[in-house]
Amino acid sequence: MTSKIVNQKAYKTEIAKKYTTFLAKYPEIFSDLISGSDFDFALYNSLESYDKRSPVDIFHVCRNGNGIKIKPGSGVDSDLELALSIDAIEKLIQTETKVEYAELLGSFYNDPDEKNGWIDFILHKRTQTLINMGYGKFAQTAGILKDDD
Amino acid sequence: MSKLQELEIKNKYTGELLGTIPADTPETVRDKIKKIHKNQHLLKEMDFFERSQLLSNFATKLRFKKPELKDLVVAEGGLPIKYSEWELNIVMNGFKFCDWYYQFLEEKPLTSIEGEQLVRIRYIPHGLAACISPRNTPLSLPLYQLGANYLVGNGAIVKPSTACPLTMLKAYSMMEEMDLPALEALDLVIAPGEWTITASHTAKDILARYGRFLKKTVDRSMGVPMYTQPFKNFFFECAGNDAGIVMDDVNLENVAKWNVIASFTNSGQQCFSMKRIIVHKDIYDEYLECLIKEIENLKYGDPTDPDVDIGPLGSRRILMMMEVMVEDAKKFDAKIFTGGEKIDTGEDYGLFYTPTLVEIKPELCGKANDIKDALKLANASNYGMRAVVYSSNLKNIEIFKNELEAANIYINARPMLVDITVSLGGIKDSAYPAGCKYYPQELVYGKYIYDGTPINIDKIK
Repeated sequence: MTSKIVNQKAYKTEIAKKYTTFLAKYPEIFSDLISGSDFDFALYNSLESYDKRSPVDIFHVCRNGNGIKIKPGSGVDSDLELALSIDAIEKLIQTETKVEYAELLGSFYNDPDEKNGWIDFILHKRTQTLINMGYGKFAQTAGILKDDD
Repeated sequence: MSKLQELEIKNKYTGELLGTIPADTPETVRDKIKKIHKNQHLLKEMDFFERSQLLSNFATKLRFKKPELKDLVVAEGGLPIKYSEWELNIVMNGFKFCDWYYQFLEEKPLTSIEGEQLVRIRYIPHGLAACISPRNTPLSLPLYQLGANYLVGNGAIVKPSTACPLTMLKAYSMMEEMDLPALEALDLVIAPGEWTITASHTAKDILARYGRFLKKTVDRSMGVPMYTQPFKNFFFECAGNDAGIVMDDVNLENVAKWNVIASFTNSGQQCFSMKRIIVHKDIYDEYLECLIKEIENLKYGDPTDPDVDIGPLGSRRILMMMEVMVEDAKKFDAKIFTGGEKIDTGEDYGLFYTPTLVEIKPELCGKANDIKDALKLANASNYGMRAVVYSSNLKNIEIFKNELEAANIYINARPMLVDITVSLGGIKDSAYPAGCKYYPQELVYGKYIYDGTPINIDKIK
C-alpha cells in the first residue's frame, strides 16, 4: 500500500506533522477500510477542549484504491472523528512496530487516562454503515476493539 | 409517612462496609414515578440519533471512570477483577454504538401487491417502564435497562439489586454531572430487600400468576402500587439451564478451555452459564479428563487479585442452594469429580463454593450415543436460554441449529460476551415472551399507517 501526505506545511502543530509522518509509514493499518472511506484525526490538548470539540489541530486520512492520502483539515463528509490527546500521540509516535502501535492505541481507548493519554471516537455516520465500510475490522486491527479473549 | 430505612452495602469478600445509603419509601418512589411521568416528553423532544449520541458520549465518560467503577463492581458484586472488565465493556460498547439498534426501530415502508408504498410501520415507545435487575450484574443490566429506555424514548425507573446498588448509583450520578438532557425522565429506586418477593422464577409460574403475582412482584419490589390496571406490556428474562454439546470430532483441549469460561465466568452466576455438559460417548472419558484439568486450574479467592477466576458468592442463600443441589445429586449416586466443597466464614461475606463438576447417571444425563441422543438430552429441560455445540460435522451442525430447543444457539463459538450482536431472551421457562431479543426492540410497539393521500387526494378533496 502507498501513502501520501498532502500539504504538510498546512498543519498548525509540530505534533500533527510528526504524527502524519509516522502514520504514512504504516498505510497497511488502514487496509481493512474500503476505498472512499475518509476519517478525521483530531488532536486535543485536554479533556475540556475535547468536551468543547475544540481540537488544536486536525487532519483526515482518505483511503483510495492503492493506499492512503493524509490531508490537512477535516474531511468534507468524514465518516468519523478519531480524537486523540497530545500525550497519547507523543507516546504513539515512539512505537517501533505496527503491533506495538496497535497495542498502545488500544490501551489509550480501553484504559484512558487524562494525564497519560487517551483516545476516543465520534461517529459521524451510522454504526452499521461504518461496519460495512470496514471500520469495525479496522478498530480491531488497531487494537481499539478487543475480542472476548 | 413510611419509616426511613438505611441500607448497608458490604464488600462481598472482606465484609468491609462500603456505604450506607437511604432506601426509598413508598412515598419517595411514588414521587419519582410522578416526576418521570411528567418529564417523559423531554425524551420525545430529541430524535433517536440525538439520544444515541448522548448515550455514546456517556459511554466515553464511563470509560474514563473505569478504574473506579471496576473497584466498586468487585467490592460490592464480588466479581473477580478479571471479569469486571467484561461487566463494564458490555455496557460501554452497547452505549457507544447504540445507534446500531436503529435497525430494529426504523420505520419500514411496505410494498403492496400493486407495487404501491402507502403503508409504513412506525415504532412507538411504550411509555414509562419499570425495570428490576438482578444481583449478578451490578452495572451492566440496570444501566442497559436505563439506557435502552432512554434510547427509544421511554421514561424509566430502574431498581438495581439491593445487594449491590453503589455502582449503578455512581453511574447515575455521572449522568447528573454531565447534565444528560432529559435525565428527569429516568430514575433509580433503592428498595429494601424485604420488598422483593422470593418465589419461583420460571416464566410459566410468573405467567400463571400474571395480573396478580407479576404486578405484585413489581409493586413490592419498587415499593408502591404502580398501576391500578395490569401493565400495557411486560417481559422478562429468567433463568437458564444451558446445555453444551461436545461431539467426537473436535479438539477436546480447546473445547474444554471454552467450556470452563462458559460455565464459570462471574463465578458461574450467570443466567447463561453452561450448566449441563453433554459429551459423545466415544470421547467421554478423555473429555472429562481435559475438563477436570481446566476446572482445577481455576483460582478462587480475593476478587481483586488479577489471577483469580472465582470470586465470593453473592449471598449465603446462594451458598445454601449450592450445598442443597450437590447433596441432592449425591442421593442419585452422583459422582463429584472435582469441587463440592464450601468455604464458609460464618459471616455474610467471603463465601465460596469450589468449582464443581458433577456426574449424574451419565447415560441419562450427559453421555450421548449419537446426535439424536445428544439432542434429546439437551432438550430435556424446562429452560431454553442458550445452547452451545462443538462439532466439525457440517451436516450435524445444521441439525443442531434446527432441533435444539433454545432461543440462542452458539455453534463452535468461544463464549461471546461483549459483542453488540449478542441477544438476550429465551424460550420455555427462560423468558417471556419467547424468543431471542434485543431489549430496545421490546420497548416499542408497531403502528400500522396507511396513507392513501397520493392516490385518493383528488377524490376526497
